[in-house]
Formats: sequence, structure tokens, C-alpha cells
Amino acid sequence: MRRFSIFEENNGDPYHLYFNQKLNKEVFEKVARKCYLPTNSIMLDLINKYDGKFKISYSITGVFLDQCNEFNPKVLESFEELAKTGCVDFLDETYYHSLCSLFKDKTEFKEQVALHNRAMKSLFKHNPVVFRNTEALFTNEIAKIVEEMGYKGIVTEGWERILGWRSPNYLYRVKGCSSIKAFLRNYRLSDDIAYRFSAHWWSEYPLTADKYAIWLSKCEGPLVNIFMDYETFGEHQWVETGIFEFLKRLPEEILKYENLNFKTPSELVSLEPVGEIDVPTPLSWADMERDASAWLGNEMQRVCFRFLENLEPMVREAKDEKLMRIWRLLQNSDQLYYLCTKSWADGDVHKYFSPFDTPYDGFINFMNVLQDLKNRLKHKLKLHEAGR
Amino acid sequence: MLGWEFPPFKSGGLGVHCYELTRALASRGVEVDFYMPRTEFEIKGTTPRLIQVMPVYFGPYTAREAYGWDFMNRVMQYNLRCAEEVEKNHRERNYDLIHNHDWLTMRAGVLAKQKIKKPHICTVHSTEYDRSSLGPNHQILEIERMGMHAADRVITVSNMMKRQIVEKFGVDCGKIRVVYNGVDPDKFRKKWEVRKYSKEKVVLFLGRMAEQKGPVQFLQAAKKVLSVMNNVRFVMAGGGDMLPYLINYSIELGISDKVTFLGYIPENQLHEAYAKSDVYVLPSISEPFGITALEAMASGTPIILSKTSGVSEITTHCLRVDFWDVNKMAEYIIALLKYRVLNHTMGRYEVEDARKFSWGKTADETLKVYRELV
Repeated sequence: MRRFSIFEENNGDPYHLYFNQKLNKEVFEKVARKCYLPTNSIMLDLINKYDGKFKISYSITGVFLDQCNEFNPKVLESFEELAKTGCVDFLDETYYHSLCSLFKDKTEFKEQVALHNRAMKSLFKHNPVVFRNTEALFTNEIAKIVEEMGYKGIVTEGWERILGWRSPNYLYRVKGCSSIKAFLRNYRLSDDIAYRFSAHWWSEYPLTADKYAIWLSKCEGPLVNIFMDYETFGEHQWVETGIFEFLKRLPEEILKYENLNFKTPSELVSLEPVGEIDVPTPLSWADMERDASAWLGNEMQRVCFRFLENLEPMVREAKDEKLMRIWRLLQNSDQLYYLCTKSWADGDVHKYFSPFDTPYDGFINFMNVLQDLKNRLKHKLKLHEAGR
Repeated sequence: MLGWEFPPFKSGGLGVHCYELTRALASRGVEVDFYMPRTEFEIKGTTPRLIQVMPVYFGPYTAREAYGWDFMNRVMQYNLRCAEEVEKNHRERNYDLIHNHDWLTMRAGVLAKQKIKKPHICTVHSTEYDRSSLGPNHQILEIERMGMHAADRVITVSNMMKRQIVEKFGVDCGKIRVVYNGVDPDKFRKKWEVRKYSKEKVVLFLGRMAEQKGPVQFLQAAKKVLSVMNNVRFVMAGGGDMLPYLINYSIELGISDKVTFLGYIPENQLHEAYAKSDVYVLPSISEPFGITALEAMASGTPIILSKTSGVSEITTHCLRVDFWDVNKMAEYIIALLKYRVLNHTMGRYEVEDARKFSWGKTADETLKVYRELV
């Protein structure tokens, strides 16, 4: 988001007033160079090399695809390449990386999922049957809606709070739902790569592909969900850490074991669930709490979120595609993430990604933008009124 | 310990620091004799033991120019006498080390070290560059330079200050230690516990009315705020050379009916002032630390800090501005007045955060420096 000052003349295209396209482009280009392009190329090589035995699934937001189009179409092409191999699965999610699944009115959520589905179909000729909500955000209620929309599976966090003694390496039913199955991320094994790969303090450092394959082979249950930020490869873990070598070696090591192979969620969703999970309050994969507190933990975040939510009727009535898109872009959970005031280790992660000096600074900017958007919507509605 | 002011005889952060530090040190079993100028009152039976050397009739921050040559003579006389006293008392008290604060007692520290052959630490709360608006006094700069070079350890109140004395005085950074100031949160009434007199919002400036404290920027920001909001009062507490000029300036800006000058206010009113304000602004051009910001935090009053302040290094529960960025300062003030949730959230986290900066911690850190030498 751009610095938005109330003392400036804020006329003109709100898109350029609210968003820092230059910074977005810079960040995108950087990560494309460090991560997307090299990783995609490795994935493609691996798929070709192992002749259908290596598989991978992606959960990609619509915003990301839009950014590919705008900043670097090569990235998009490389994903299309991967899609063509038939060894790649795509999951559906909200188009705008939004937390709108927590809106009281679920219309927006459904629309965004439909938008995303359409994008998957048109770009990758793929119709996802498994859903992964923004940040793996999950409740019984969300699962129920997703089920009603026709999805067979949903991915969320395999956190002890909901599992108790049970293993994440199985499929589970969801309380209140009839048929949808929950895939639970094995956060320990996922974080071994995503967070601890280059951690010198870690007793298992350095992590090698053969060691990791041994761990996998010793896992109980029919599946292990290894799910992480794509930026793990080359961005969070820099190329110097050896992350790419690890990735290149991994399929070979894994395929050495008789009890291990690669499968996509779409293939596995036919497995029988072994039990039921009950998640009445939000579960996610973020921070130590694994709830919604990274985005809605303090009063400032909740005020902004409600403000956004309450704009919905106006946005719909205004019937202005540009303003609708802006409203949706503002739903990006990162906008709220920057306002987080947690002061321990997680707070540092928030700070690392934030373009703002402090969460309070972030709040002011977000509120100024939201106020401005509201004024524009009001103005638009007045014009409609006058036209009638 | 060689100091200048000590409550109730004080006019700035230096006095607060000495008072709180010596008490916290005492509770850690460190015996402190505190040397200070003679005042009109004899105080006995205090912790630390106060030793009043000789009378001087000016504070560390008052206009020195008015005193002319006599001022410097007087200071030097005090320093000599102070060092002599230390030597005399050393025979019986057997001191382990000498700790002085700022330039006013710098020479006494250096002399005492020569006389009793014990290590010398000096704490730099501010330098001549921070205090002078008309250009630094070279005699004072020289005293500071000499003292910092001669001392065995130099304590600064922030990293910003540390950088400054490395760059401007060429002090070896290996012997500098940063020890932040503290605050006693329980002493301060919380914003939400205090009833306000009127519905008018209050924005507070508290400090000496001197160029480096940024009162001009404060008034300029006030003007900006008042261009979009009406129900706001800007309160400026503190005395200083610039007061008459600032009053005139507020009239010139056409906002004099919205600005209240309180002059110097005593401690009990100070606590009220923090708690009854909606925003505290520290717009300093140069602020080695800024204890007032910690005090505002302890009261739960949201703070806007100049980036050129030491205190902005240690908290993220604030809004930071460049002192010259009056627009942004105004924008932040407006936001803090307009968005209750922002005001309240920040206030709550500030109080929590302020607990991390107790005087006990300051004493512990100071003690660590002592242990390096004793």
C-alpha cells in the first residue's frame, strides 16, 4: 500500500493513490528472479526426469496471477508449462487472498472462490476439487460452505489443539459436514524445510534429502501433507543455503522407499477418513497461536476489518468495477497483518514483511485509504441517485 | 557520584536520572555519596547521602549567556571544590569509583580520579551540540571532549548519543556503554483513570522552550491540525528562553486561542498533564533520550516521537516522524484524535511496554559497567 496523506490532493485514479505499484513490481521481480522462475524450472525438470512419479500441487491466488500478467508473463507461462505435464494439481482459494470467509455475509466469499475457479479453468485447464482457504483459515462453518460449493476436500493446519493425540497423516471428517474431507498439514515436517532448513541452532542441521526421506518413510498413516510458502525456495531460504540442491535430490531419495511416493490431494481425496475434527473457532497456519489473531488480534485490526466488511453493500450498489476491484484488493490479509502488535518472535516476522514503521502507522494509512474509498463510493451512489 | 541537580531541586531529565539511579543502586547494596551544589535547604538522612559542596545559582539548562565569564569561573570553582571534597572524604569513605554526569561536573570527575586513583565513569545525557541553539560554546565542548577521553568508561543514554560522541568527539567506541533511562509506571496515573475537564481534545508538548526541542515545529503542526479540526487544544508546558517568541509566533499563526502556555510545571501537575492529554508529541530536533516520552507511555498517552530522539530506538508502540515533516506530524495527531481505537490500543501497549524500562534495569545496566572496573 502506498503512503496516503490527507493533506495531499487526492484526486485521480484511486488505484494509483492507494497502491504502490512501483514497490509491488520491484518485490515481484525480485522474488520471480530468486524463487518463482528457478523453482518452477526445477519442478519441471523433476517431473520430466521421473516420468510422472514426481507430483506437486499449487495453491495460487488470483492476485498473484494478475501480477504475473502485469509484471512478468514469463512466470505465468512457466506455471502453464507445469500444468500441461498432468503431474500438477491446483487448489482453489479466494481470488484476492482475502479473509472474507469470516464476513457475516458469505456472498463475497463465494464470489471470490468462483472467480478463482474460473481462473484455474481458463489458465490451467484444471477444475480443482480440493480447497485451501487464505492462510489455511478454517472453521466447521467454512468447511460446510466449501462443501456446499461442491469441493470434496479442504486443507488446513494439523495443529494439536484440534487433533489431540491423533495424527495429521490421515483424512478427517468435519463436524457438521456430510462428506468433505480435511487434509491436515504436517507442520513439523513442513517447517523442517520452510523454517529450520538453514537454522544453525537446530540439532538436525544440516538437513539433507536422504535424512528427510528417512523421516518420511518412518511416518505412520497413508499420507503426509508437506505444504509451505513457495518463497521457501530461494527467498526465505536463499540459494546459498543449498535449498535448491535439496529440492533436486529429494524425489530420488523419497522414491528409494517402497512405502513412499508422490500423490496430489485430488488423487487422495478418495481415501477413507478415520475420524472427525471439530473446529468451532478459527484455525490457521499463522503464528504460534494458529488462529486468526495475526490479522484480527487487536482492536485496530478488527475495526479495519469491520469497516471493510461494512463497505460491501455500498460497493455492490455502486456497480463500479474499478472500485469493486480496489475493495477486493484491500481485503488482502497482509493489510491487516501489518497492524499486528504482538511483541514476541511472531511480531518480528510481521515487522519483516511490513512496509510500515509501526503497526499504528499501518492502521492510520489503512483507515485513511478506507475512508477515502468510502467517500468515493458515497459520491458514486449520489451520482446514481441524481441520474435516476 | 557527582551531579548537579537532585529532586526537589531539578529542572530536567538529568535530575530524575540521578535520583532514580542512586535509589535503585542503594537497593542493590551500592553505597552512593551524591555531590551537588549547595542549595538553600540543608537535607539530611536521605538515600543517597547528599553532599552539598558550594552554592551556585543556576541550573544546567538555564541561559548561560546571561552569566558571562563569571558563569564558567563559577562552574570551574565548583569542580575544584568538588574534587577536593571527594579527596577529603575518600580517606574515611574509601570510594571504589567516581561517576559523574554531563559536562558541569566533568572536570571534577577527572580531577578526583587523579587525586584518589580510582576509575572514573561519566554519563553523557547530552552534549553541547544538543543544548545550544546559538552555536556551541567551544570552552564547554573542550571540557566534554577532554572528560570523555580521560574517563575509563562513558555511558550514553542511547545509541544515537553513542554515535554522536564517536563521530564528533572521537571517543573510542569500545569504552562506551549504552544505558537507557527508565520510568516507574506505577507512579503515573493512567489516562483512562482520569476525568477530563472538558470535551476539548488535548495535544501536549512538554519540555524546555528551546530550539532543539522543536516547539516551532509543534506549533506549525498545530496550525495544520486546526485547519481540519476545531475541537483541539495544544498545551505547551515548560519554561525557557524561547517562550516569548513562541507566544508571539502562535499569535502570528492565528492559533493563539487554541494554544495554552503553562510555563514550568511542578511534578504533581506534570502527572496530571500526561494523563489528561490525548496525544503527547516529542518533536525534538535533537533529543539524546527523552524521558518525558517514557512518562507519557506510562500514563497510556499515545506518543509521536521525532526520529532524532534516543527513546524512539527502544519502543515500537509509537508513531515516528522526522522533526521537519510537519505534515506527517499533523496527520498523526489527527489520526490519534480521530480514531479512538488507535488511541486506546497504542495507550494500552505503551503501558505494558513502559514496564520494560524500569529504573531498576537502568541501575542493573549501570552496575554492570561498574563491575567492569571494580
